[in-house]
Amino acid sequence: MILETGRVVSTETVADLGTVLVVSSPGIATRAHAGQFVHVRPGDRFDPLLRRPYSFNGIDRKRGEIELIVKPLGEGGEWIAERRGGDPLDLLGPLGTSFVVHRATTHLLLVAGGTGIAPMKVLAEQAAAAGRNVTLIMGGRSIHHLWPAHRLPPAVEYVTTTEDGSFGIRGRVTDAMPEYLSWADQLCACGPWPMLAAVGRMRDEAARSTSVIAGRDVLLDAQIAVEQHMGCAMGVCRACVIVTAHGNARVCREGPVLSLGDVRFEGGEPATVGVIT
Amino acid sequence: MPWRRPRKHVERARDVDRSVEEMLQQKAEHAEEDEAVDLAALDGASVVEAAMGEPDQPQPPSELATKLGEAVAGVDLESEAAGPAGARGARSLGRGSSRPVPADAGTFGQAHSSTPSSRASLLAPSPAASQDEASDPLEVVVSLPEAGIDLQVEAARGLWLKNPVMTASGTFGQGTEYAELIDVSRLGAIVNKGTTVHARPGNPQYRIAETPSGILNSIGLENPGAEAVAKRYGRAWAELGVPVIVNVAGYSVEDYVTVVREMEGTPGVVAYELNVSCPNVKGGMLFGMDPGLAAEVTRAVKAETGKPVIVKLTPNAPDVVAVARACEEAGADALTSINTVLGMRIDTKKRRPVLGTGSGGLSGPAIRPIAVHITYQVAQAVSIPIIGAGGITNAADALEFLMAGASAVQVGTATFADPLAPIKVVEGLAAYVRENGLSSIRDIIGAAQAKRDSAGTEYAQ
Ligand SMILES: Cc1cc2nc3c(=O)[nH]c(=O)nc-3n(C[C@H](O)[C@H](O)[C@H](O)COP(=O)(O)OP(=O)(O)OC[C@H]3O[C@@H](n4cnc5c(N)ncnc54)[C@H](O)[C@@H]3O)c2cc1C
Ligand SMILES: Cc1cc2nc3c(=O)[nH]c(=O)nc-3n(C[C@H](O)[C@H](O)[C@H](O)COP(=O)(O)O)c2cc1C
Ligand code: FES
Repeated sequence: MILETGRVVSTETVADLGTVLVVSSPGIATRAHAGQFVHVRPGDRFDPLLRRPYSFNGIDRKRGEIELIVKPLGEGGEWIAERRGGDPLDLLGPLGTSFVVHRATTHLLLVAGGTGIAPMKVLAEQAAAAGRNVTLIMGGRSIHHLWPAHRLPPAVEYVTTTEDGSFGIRGRVTDAMPEYLSWADQLCACGPWPMLAAVGRMRDEAARSTSVIAGRDVLLDAQIAVEQHMGCAMGVCRACVIVTAHGNARVCREGPVLSLGDVRFEGGEPATVGVIT
Repeated sequence: MPWRRPRKHVERARDVDRSVEEMLQQKAEHAEEDEAVDLAALDGASVVEAAMGEPDQPQPPSELATKLGEAVAGVDLESEAAGPAGARGARSLGRGSSRPVPADAGTFGQAHSSTPSSRASLLAPSPAASQDEASDPLEVVVSLPEAGIDLQVEAARGLWLKNPVMTASGTFGQGTEYAELIDVSRLGAIVNKGTTVHARPGNPQYRIAETPSGILNSIGLENPGAEAVAKRYGRAWAELGVPVIVNVAGYSVEDYVTVVREMEGTPGVVAYELNVSCPNVKGGMLFGMDPGLAAEVTRAVKAETGKPVIVKLTPNAPDVVAVARACEEAGADALTSINTVLGMRIDTKKRRPVLGTGSGGLSGPAIRPIAVHITYQVAQAVSIPIIGAGGITNAADALEFLMAGASAVQVGTATFADPLAPIKVVEGLAAYVRENGLSSIRDIIGAAQAKRDSAGTEYAQ
């Protein structure tokens, strides 16, 4: 990982999802993998003080560019989303673990919620380019919270769910998933904690079940990318710790991509304190 | 209309047009091409760490158990990534040194070195002894802005450092993590994460919250315990190229003594900093709040080790100066001023505190004036060195502490925003000495004190 002053190439607002920034950052682009993130400094002063973590929403090694999708929740996100072409951006990355698509995977199922689309889009692009069959299920509150289909490779099958039924299947991603599980060789997911917890429950049921269920292995083997509030993102402060089957794990180092089966949930949220093994 | 209907489902049959092998092979070829092109295009790019070398390897998530497990087994994955800093550190450490080392400064680089001449030391010799070092071609790295500038300070009695800049406990891990990004061997010393007798899982989320020009934290002293720290990081510390100060935390006098006993002989360790002030853990407040208790723990640890013992003051004590005096009398070799200030933020939507523990410790520029003031007051009351900490982001901030009477400084929270901050402070202090025609950085210690010839500057001579 490196510190690099990137330069914003272009920005564009994507409905209610957030602002997409294309940033020229050759050093980081060369090193980046799907699922990893950059820690972005929101300004050049110490107020707001902390950097903000954002996943790669696109990695273009040839052009030396990365793409981020930034949902402005507060001060820092707003500052970053307000950058315009030519502006410098202080980046630290790439950080954390990445998704790994198995060699034998020919049918990849991706599940995204909200800005969790970012690493799923990168995976979709890379897997489609490698000739794999990809289905991306994306869920949002309404049509305005969905990633536009024309910004995905044509070879990717795109399934959408909205809670208000304004587009695609009415419901949540987990409602759409069962149909695809038997088809897929591998499952990767990224989204808000309640969504990941719901996928986790599907996995638990599959794990408990004694009868042969279609897609059981896919659920057992699923990889997810999680979020936690961060300080350093360098593994030193332990602000970002979550509980896993193997003890405390730092989302910035051992994560953000983890095996679904390792992550401990508590009522749709991450379980917090565990024991050090 | 940008929204497309979901495409018709593709054929779900397992057999694809090409064989899996074909696809994988083609992909591998592609990847190689990509890599070659990218590296060529990198030439001349504005990459800060141009020397970082090969692109980072993809890090699969599946080895969590191995990762967490291996760390315990003593193979620290992070320290294996030999960045430029690591390489440099190792080089400077490889040389033995026959320079005189202050008798009680402890050994560095070797767990048990018997004769003074075998001590590979990264500590600065006392200034008088350093004169002839300038001619050592390996010692002076001419390209560094601080080269040739006398930044040496006595950070604690008997502990001379090559410059006054340390990292603050809890903001620099075990030193190995940031070594991937910056040259830690350019720092005066590093302070590790608070270390307790047994492993601690830490506090519930959230553990961090942003505040105006600062942060609140409530980590809860998560650490693997003294024995594991010594085993896991001793080797890495010996190769970091920078002295390590172990931050010790505990819940009884025996706890502190036990941690120090476990850490004794660990390569790289030159001193102990007693965290008698961590506000995050129940009862943690105790020692630093009360002059008698603070003195007791200081005395007990002094009896356990010959290395310098630094006591870290809490601004939350009713009378910080009284605690400082009591620690000095009990034999403390230095005082760190200050630890975090108690604070709270409330999530108005959820109607509860943001931090999992309710309150936490405030740090960052928001507390700097408090820290400078306490440093100034304590400097008037004691004659042992003071290490200033609290909101330092650059050399100008550090100078405030030095002029208030501190002999050294710690950079903490600022590193999260700007990982180069500690190095920038070193460079900035060197520039200050040069531009102001000072003979050394020691000239300005206590410069802002009303009585310049008082106890405040005595120890700086
Ligand atoms: C690994 C990772 C990848 C992420 N990828 C994306 C992405 O691609 N697109 C996107 O829009 N968002 C992403 N997030 C969430 C993003 O980091 C937060 O939305 C952002 O930090 C909020 O900052 P703010 O100033 O807008 O909000 P504020 O509410 O002002 O933030 C206050 C503090 O809380 C922290 N914080 C608040 N929400 C979150 C959160 N969900 N996760 C982590 N920290 C949070 C902030 O970092 C900051 O320190 C990711 C988070 C992580 C951990
Ligand atoms: C995340 C975090 C963790 C900390 N952990 C410790 C600790 O384990 N032991 C300790 O003595 N101080 C700890 N501190 C306090 C710092 O070492 C330092 O004294 C304080 O933050 C003020 O300096 P700063 O404003 O430069 O950060 C911690 C601070 C932060 C922000
Ligand atoms: S954010 Fe500091 S350890 Fe992960």
